[in-house]
Formats: sequence, C-alpha cells, structure tokens
Amino acid sequence: MKLLSPLLLLAAAVNASILTLQSPKFTIATKDGQQSRSEPISLAQKPSPLHLSQTDILKLTFQIVDKSSGNGVQPRQVFLRFYDEESGEEGIQPLRVASTGKVKFDLDMSKPPLSIPPTSTAPLEVSLFIGGSTTSTSYSPLKMDLFSLHIPASHPVPPHPDEASFHLLPEIEHTFRPDPKLPPTFISAVFAGAVIAAPWIVLLGLWFSLPSLPLPSLASPSILPFTLSIGAFEFLLYKYWVELKLGDVLFYGAILGGVTVFTGRTALRAVEQRRVGK
Amino acid sequence: MLSLYTFILLIFGLAVVLDAKSSSGNSVLVILDPARRPDYSIFFDGLQEKGYDLTFRAPKDETPVLIQDDIPSFAHVVFFESDTKHFAKDITPQTLVELLSGKTNLLIALSQKQNLLTSFAPEFSLILPPPGSSLLSYFPERKENNSVVPIEVPSSSNIISAGTAPVWFSGVPFVLGNNPLIFPILNAPAESFAADAEGITPDALADAAEKGGEGLWAGSQLAVAAGFQTLGNARVAWLGGVELFSNEFAKKEISKGVKSGNQQAAADIAAWTFQESLVLRIDSTTHHLVNTSVPKEHYTINDVVEYIAQISRFNPNKGKWEPYSGINDLQLEFTMLDPHIRTALPPVPGSPGKYAVTLRVPDRHGVFKFVINHKRKGWTYLQSSTTVPVVPPRHDGYPRFLSAAWPYYAGAISTSLGFFVFSALYLAGDARETNLRKAKGAKAQ
Repeated sequence: MKLLSPLLLLAAAVNASILTLQSPKFTIATKDGQQSRSEPISLAQKPSPLHLSQTDILKLTFQIVDKSSGNGVQPRQVFLRFYDEESGEEGIQPLRVASTGKVKFDLDMSKPPLSIPPTSTAPLEVSLFIGGSTTSTSYSPLKMDLFSLHIPASHPVPPHPDEASFHLLPEIEHTFRPDPKLPPTFISAVFAGAVIAAPWIVLLGLWFSLPSLPLPSLASPSILPFTLSIGAFEFLLYKYWVELKLGDVLFYGAILGGVTVFTGRTALRAVEQRRVGK
Repeated sequence: MLSLYTFILLIFGLAVVLDAKSSSGNSVLVILDPARRPDYSIFFDGLQEKGYDLTFRAPKDETPVLIQDDIPSFAHVVFFESDTKHFAKDITPQTLVELLSGKTNLLIALSQKQNLLTSFAPEFSLILPPPGSSLLSYFPERKENNSVVPIEVPSSSNIISAGTAPVWFSGVPFVLGNNPLIFPILNAPAESFAADAEGITPDALADAAEKGGEGLWAGSQLAVAAGFQTLGNARVAWLGGVELFSNEFAKKEISKGVKSGNQQAAADIAAWTFQESLVLRIDSTTHHLVNTSVPKEHYTINDVVEYIAQISRFNPNKGKWEPYSGINDLQLEFTMLDPHIRTALPPVPGSPGKYAVTLRVPDRHGVFKFVINHKRKGWTYLQSSTTVPVVPPRHDGYPRFLSAAWPYYAGAISTSLGFFVFSALYLAGDARETNLRKAKGAKAQ
C-alpha cells in the first residue's frame, strides 16, 4: 500500500471530466430464457456472489455517460477483468461499446469466451476498467469492482514437464526388504544344548564306568607339544570361521604344519618306543 | 625503473581485482550507437562505479567481436540498440546462443520494430505482440502520454530491492510461455494492454481478443521485464523497452517530490543479470559412513551414510563468496536410474554453509548417484552428482553366528573338542592294551 500512494498522488494531479455508469444491471438466465436473478449493480456496495452453472448466461448491461452532462460517451478501453485471487490467473475481456456508450455483454457458460481464465473453486473477482475517449474531451479513467463470480471449475492447466523440478518435490523413501525371520533364541539354545550334551553325557558316562585309566605321559615333554599342535589347528580353524581370511589361514597353517610334523614325529616315536621297544 | 613500473602495474591490477563485483567477470560490451550513450549515462556510470569495465560498440561496427577463437570476449553483453534493423555480421541469433553456452550474460532491450531480437525472443518463450504495438494504460490519470506507464515493483521480488519506488516504463510488453526457465521481473499493470497507439477503439480491441488466445495482450499476466536462466546458469534479462534505463526516466518524478525507482530497478536488474545477486555455488560435497570421516569408494547395502554439502553465496558488496545456510528447501536424491531416496538436505545449525543428512543405503546393489538438483526461479541452479557403487556384502561381511544355527556351531565345536580330547587321551594313555591282550592271551591258554 505504501507503494501505491505515489501513484494515487499522481492521479490527483490531473483534472479531467468524470465518467459514470448509468443503470448498470446484471441478469442470470438459463438457456431457455428463464431469469433466476436480476439485480441492478450498486457502485457503492458489491452484490452477493453470483453463481453460474454450466448452462447459465450472465447478461451485463450499462451505459457509460459523462457525469456532468449525462451524454453517452464511447471510451477507447472498456475491459472486464476476471481475476482469481487464489491462483493469480487473470483474464481480460474487452467489451464492445456503441457510440451512445451502451454496453451489452453476454457470458454464455456453455461457450465460455477465451478470456475466462482457468478456474478452481475460488471465485473470480470481476472488475471493470474504462479509460480514454474517442472524443476530444479527456476523461478520468474509471475502475470499479463489480462482483464475485462463481463458475464451474475448468480443467487444470497442464504444467510444463520441467516445472515440477522448480519446486519442492515429494520425498521418496526406500522400502527395505524385511529382516529374515529367526526362530526364538530359546529354542535354538535348547537344541544347541541338546547337541552338546547328548554325546558328551554318553561319553563321560562310559568313561567313568571304566576302571580308571592311567595317563602316564599326558604332560610328558615328548607328547604334550604334539597334543598342543593339534589343539592349535582346531583353534586356527575356529579363527578362520570368525575372522581370518584364507591367505592368513594358509600362512599360519603352513607354519603350524611344519611344527606339527616335527612334534608329531617326536611324539609318535615316543609312543612306538613305549609300546614296542619295551 | 622497470621494477617500479611493474610495482605500479601490480598495485593497479590489485585495485581492479578488489573492485570486482560480479562473480563471473567484469568486462561488459554495450552495443549502442555512440550518439545515444549520454542518454543512459546514469546507468553506465553506476556500472563503472561498481567496477565494471565497459566497452562500447556501435551496432554496425565490426569490432570488438563477440566471440574470438570460439571464446566469448566479454563476460556480459548489453543490447541497448534494439531499433537497429541490421547488425554487424557477427551479431546473429546463433552467436547469441553461443555466448550463452559460453556463460556470457545478456541484457537485451526489445523494441517495437522487427529485427533479429524480436525473432530471437520466441526461443526464450517470450510471446511478443504484433509489431508496432506498445504498452498503453489510461490508469492512473496522469499528464504523461498513455504509453509511458508507471509500474509498481512487486513486493515479493527478490531481484529488485524491496521498497523501490514505482518505475516508469515505455515499450513492448510480452506474454511468458510456460517454460519454467523464464520468470517475470516486472509485470505490467492489470489495467494496461498492448496496442498500436493510434486507432484504438473498443471494437478493434474486442476483435483482437476474439482472434484467439494470443489476440489481445492485456493485464497483469504480461511482463515488461523477464529473467531467463539457461541450464548452464547464464542469465538473460529481457526488457520491453530500453527507456527503463534512461536518464530521462531515472530523473522523472513518479509523483510530486518522489523520484522514480528506475535507477534502482535498472541497477538491480543489471546486478542480477551480471551474476551479482542470487548467485550460489556448491563448494564441495562429501559422503562417509556414519561415525567415520573417510569417504568410501563404495558402500554396502544397508550402510548408514552421511552426505555433506558445502554451499556459498556470492556477496557483491565484498566481492567474496560466503558460506550460505539460507536454503531451506534443498533436497538430496540417491538415484539409480530413478531416485530410490529423496530426502531434505537441511542446513546444519551452527556451521554456516553446511548441509548434511544421514541416510540408509537401499538394499539394491548397483551404481548409485548422490544428486543435488536445486532449481529456483532467479537463483543459480545448484547441480551436483557423485557416483558411488553399492555392493552386496562380501562373503565375510555377514554375521558369523546366527541364532538359528546355534545347534550346528555347537555340534562342530563339540566334535572338534572331542577329537582333541581323544587325541590327547590316545597319546597320553599307557600301552595298557598290550597288557590287556597279554592277559587275555594268558587266560585263553
């Protein structure tokens, strides 16, 4: 509004004759001529919004006259403006004026003129612009808001295919595959326990049913290294499963293999001596 | 003596660099008849004060050429000589397009007369009224000719500074097509229309309107100044009339005691065109696994990855790029042919210019791209694409112990343990067997 004021000041600077409308009137009629609403347009107060259906015809009539003399005037510019405040769409319809200043405009909704902008459910604000004069007298331009007009919604305008990329686009989320289903850990634990327990119970039972077995050389220096190397191999295989790569396993396995061959020979020779040699 | 000379040159060079105000260069070629140059001196002086280096060329001069050895000679070109029918032979629509591909910015003023610019304009989705027509308005009532129209600066404009007084305009309005690369800078007033100044009658206007969709150019959907930014971020400003930049309009009062906004609007339109205002760039983009800091060459499906972009905006007052956190609608896409993920890339509070988001990589392997494609009318388009392959886990990338397989692990470990115990016992055991056998043998005997 602040910016508007210089323009208003500018308007006040010029003196010219004033135009006015005589007997402005609108009529809404159906195709077969039945009038559903007919009212004079008051310039002071806007009428209640007008509703047009697909088959209605809106008739608008008025005469443009010089306010002081009352004579009809034919201005150069007589425009009806249809403006959708919500979408900003606008349509301008120039009106034909007789030399007496009489204007008659029919808006047939079954054949809407090209000037009607694409509409949604929001009303169109209709205003009238009158400016210029074909005669030598200069007139102040006249601008007035006539009424709000509800008309059936049009098809939406197809936007440019690239237009969407100039706005915020809808978010996209990836739908992940569901996690694989696992049986309850309790059941897994029970079966794991069963797998461990069953053979060992039998084994240990048998072991204790035997007369005590003497283990004379469990810690003997010739046997123990071989036992430990076998254990180390088992441990290496476990590590292979958990973290090591094949190359590491082959490397450690080769070292361990060398050691095992040596400790094995020593241990087996010791066993041989014990069994045969004695 | 020579060294002193070099020193002075160096100081001079530095001064020029410090004066630089455009993010893309300071050399400007103005195509204008030298006789008309004083008419626009306020605008040109303003540019020179900012540090632009103006070169003038009459429309029929052969030099300086626009493109030398396939390289544009100037960073910006201003076309003020639009009434000319014929231009020098290197000024053709093809050269202008080539200039735009070479990131040269253009400021083009149209005229009522037909020339190469009026046939060039439709390529930018500008729909011009029939030749000879100009913008007319009887509103508001004023002393001036109907073709000199005061236009209010829209308050929502991000190109022309807020609070600029209405501007005087005289020239051709145009309709903008629905091409999203073009946008209005100044719209015509709702009451205005385009027509040949002589012989306007209501019937002629009504006839024009009935001719078809483009029959009558009227209303606030018309633009008198429009901006077009190519996909390569070169900018073109289209003006309906060169008078917008003239001294006459700059000095002309818009109302008693209030100067028009023309000088400010002209400077602002030029600032936008010459890549001073609304200029952004992506400094860097990086990505890494959450809780690490080193970018990976490829990611595994379901990895949680952080993506970071650093964005700067050009500050024309200092002539420097500054970190900019003001973009609130930046989006990141993670695409393989189509975006699999599109998510907001919000600014990180506390770190200027940094935008970051954490996302979980989709469980689809293939060659993906992190894509930023931010386009907003008037602003530099931000585009970035980083390719990262997404692979399934390696053979040793899976969990080692699944609860469903506990019985199998238990069995394997139990067997190993059994083997070890057996080996130990076998090796450590006494040669009791022979003794037993001997005992058995003795019994048998």
